[in-house]
Amino acid sequence: MRLIARFALDNVENFEIIDVFDKETKRQKVDKKEPSIKSLMPKYPAAIWMERKIRDEFGIEFEGAFDKRPLVKHERFPKHIYPLRKDFNKKEIDFSVYQPYKYEEIEGESVFVVPVGPIHAGIIEPGHFHFSQAGEEILHLEIRHFYKYRGIEKMVEGKNPKEIKKIIERISGNESIAYQIAFMDILAKASESEIPNSLKQKYFTLLELERIIHHLTDLGFIPNDAGFAPALSFMSKLAEEARRIMAKITGHRFGFGAIKEEISIDYKELIDFMDYLKKETEFFKNWIEDIASLWDRFNTTGTLSREKAIKYGVVGVAARASGIEIDVRNNLFYKNFGYEMQLEKKGEVSDRFRIRIKEILNSIEMIKNFKIDKNEKLNPKEFKDGEYTSFVESSIGEVFMFLKIKNGLVDRFFVRDPSHINWQAFHTTIYKDIIADFPLINKSFDLSYAGNDL
Amino acid sequence: MLRFWEKRLKTGIITENLELDKELEEIKKNIKDKVKKHFAGSLAIRMVDSGSCNACEAECNALSNPYYDLERLGIHFVASPRHADVMFLSGVMTINMYHHAIDCYNQMPSPKWVIAIGDCVKDMGVFEKTYAIKGNDLKIDYYIPSCPPNPKDILKGILEFLKTIK
Repeated sequence: MRLIARFALDNVENFEIIDVFDKETKRQKVDKKEPSIKSLMPKYPAAIWMERKIRDEFGIEFEGAFDKRPLVKHERFPKHIYPLRKDFNKKEIDFSVYQPYKYEEIEGESVFVVPVGPIHAGIIEPGHFHFSQAGEEILHLEIRHFYKYRGIEKMVEGKNPKEIKKIIERISGNESIAYQIAFMDILAKASESEIPNSLKQKYFTLLELERIIHHLTDLGFIPNDAGFAPALSFMSKLAEEARRIMAKITGHRFGFGAIKEEISIDYKELIDFMDYLKKETEFFKNWIEDIASLWDRFNTTGTLSREKAIKYGVVGVAARASGIEIDVRNNLFYKNFGYEMQLEKKGEVSDRFRIRIKEILNSIEMIKNFKIDKNEKLNPKEFKDGEYTSFVESSIGEVFMFLKIKNGLVDRFFVRDPSHINWQAFHTTIYKDIIADFPLINKSFDLSYAGNDL
Repeated sequence: MLRFWEKRLKTGIITENLELDKELEEIKKNIKDKVKKHFAGSLAIRMVDSGSCNACEAECNALSNPYYDLERLGIHFVASPRHADVMFLSGVMTINMYHHAIDCYNQMPSPKWVIAIGDCVKDMGVFEKTYAIKGNDLKIDYYIPSCPPNPKDILKGILEFLKTIK
């Protein structure tokens, strides 16, 4: 079984841990007096961050856990508060005394540590990478995130579900459309209505366009990190053009606010652009395949083995590049519009690079097929109390969203970004690669920090 | 590789000339003049994200694409705060980033300025105060609003900021 998410609820009278697997969902009540539950860490390594997060936010202990360090509570974050418990209502907290964090480090003769971040050299999000090095070779990497921890889950609690859409769509800017669709799907379920097929086609058109923009950007940055700048010029040009198309059809360059109860899309211009994009992408593909020095860097670099990917439950582009058939879009609805799963075998930088090219071409086909003139409306009225979940394939991978509505208000919101799992498997890919390859490998995964940190 | 050069020659220079030109050309010329006057032709920016959604960063990255090509105006993003004249600050300033952002600011040599990118820095935009958000305490010299500001907004903002420097 694949672990999708492990998260906690505060039911006032007790805590509840929900384990979402691909085949089933398990729920366990936890007594509030000395709350404790069995750890999943030894079997599912992806549970490490999930459990450390629950421990920080709810104060629930995990029996058999081998990693009990704080996760979201950094050096100056007060350790004695449990912010996601219902009896915690403070909006302002004071810094505590600096308590050092114990990093995973390898010790030994001529082994040294290279700390990188949280503020990096380029224009990227903050996160810390802690390398243990033997000369040029990387022995171990600990990734430490949650610098961007904004407390989104608490921020939306107690609000009307409709009010929080503007927050949901800005959790992770690159995956905004995916988050919006997941949320709209939940709202539809909560009001016992169904998203009409024609509207779904429009939603998925925008989702594929978002994926195209994200992949185009990566296809420029990956070669750039290997010292091949012309690819960045070429692809950043296309990415900008695609973003302008997004702005034209949704009114926003990132599609914030685009997924509404009713939308109209000007397909004429979009499809003309898709034809142009297809030609350009095919040119890029032929051209880049010939640059031998680039493939020298891409091949055998950053290998995510199939075994590790399965063990960690890796999702999205990274999983498919290692030959694992995981994609939320792998269903009849999508297949009717030309969806084909893109797979590679070895899980190297080159595989993740190739998958992105193939997925762009497939997304172009789908967008052409999604074209529709019909105008149907979704009408979510009253939201029924209950618990709702949704899955959407963002440009990174599977987004899992959970919403519990109580008395018409948000009681608990949780989202598991694909990055949350993939970041944890990341360190397995760099063993014995050189540190200069790290930016390249990082970009080939292109994970979100904001979506991971929440 | 020959194929690429053929394509390269056919494409030519695409740096924004058409629809935005009249307005942008003026902006660009002014920016270039100001950068020359106040920063000896080279303005160095260090971007710090204190808890954004990553859209502001994406738009700053877009400034380097062939359509905007910021570097030809003498403006570039640098890897270290010690090389920077200006800090671009985005995001809501989380508790976990607070001290790192201040460290970064302290590492910058004077004279130095901070430009806020996006609504988050000013009033958190659509976000609301939570326990995990501290809010920014650095003195902001210029705000470039919007969620996120598009590359053209940022260019305009840089010019407006440059006008405030005496």
